Amino acid sequence: MAKKSKARAQTLSPRQQSPQKPLTSRRWRLKLVIGGAVLAVALGVGGLVRFLQQRDLAPHLQGTGDKHYTQGTAGAAVVIKEFSDYT
Amino acid sequence: MQRFEGQVQLVLYPFALNPTSEVATQAAWCAGEQGKFWEFHHMLYRRQELWSRLTAPLERLIDFAKDVNLDTATLRSCVESGRMQDRMQADKAYGQQLQVSSTPTMFINGYRIVGTQSEGELVRLIRQELNRVRPQGQ
Repeated sequence: MAKKSKARAQTLSPRQQSPQKPLTSRRWRLKLVIGGAVLAVALGVGGLVRFLQQRDLAPHLQGTGDKHYTQGTAGAAVVIKEFSDYT
Repeated sequence: MQRFEGQVQLVLYPFALNPTSEVATQAAWCAGEQGKFWEFHHMLYRRQELWSRLTAPLERLIDFAKDVNLDTATLRSCVESGRMQDRMQADKAYGQQLQVSSTPTMFINGYRIVGTQSEGELVRLIRQELNRVRPQGQ
């Protein structure tokens, strides 16, 4: 019986023979890499959405202040559009 | 505005967020029909505490209108007719298109500013924008 056990031990792959600690460490590293990738993708998507929103503003803002009350010079280099609530 | 004369234009979009503000907005535009928009506009802010918590502020606003020499009967009939509703809704729609969700929100050209800013900060941002669109020496 003892001989048989020895033979089985010899057939174990190097991975199975490796201690538990490095395996856990590898799993953590994998989790960190995946977490980092997910975070990077989320930040990228957020940045892209923000960029697209700002880019979309430009054509909308070209509308003039027709029927709106204005102060200052028409056709000025800087146009301030103010949205305010009286309450 | 005076310090940037000739360089800056302010376009005002009254953006009513509640029924009380809707009445005030319509009253301001109706005052505008009598050539007194800005007087009425400034008065609404000056006396905000006196009317902004009322659920039906029209009577109080009509009282105020006397102080800026508005024809109060005309003002009342203008507001009650609801003919400024479309204008108000159009501004709301425009604000929503620009993702305006709170007030005050300003756009200095394409640059969005949300929340109340100090005068100094506004001046800084306007100067920054002027420098961007009109670089020095040009």
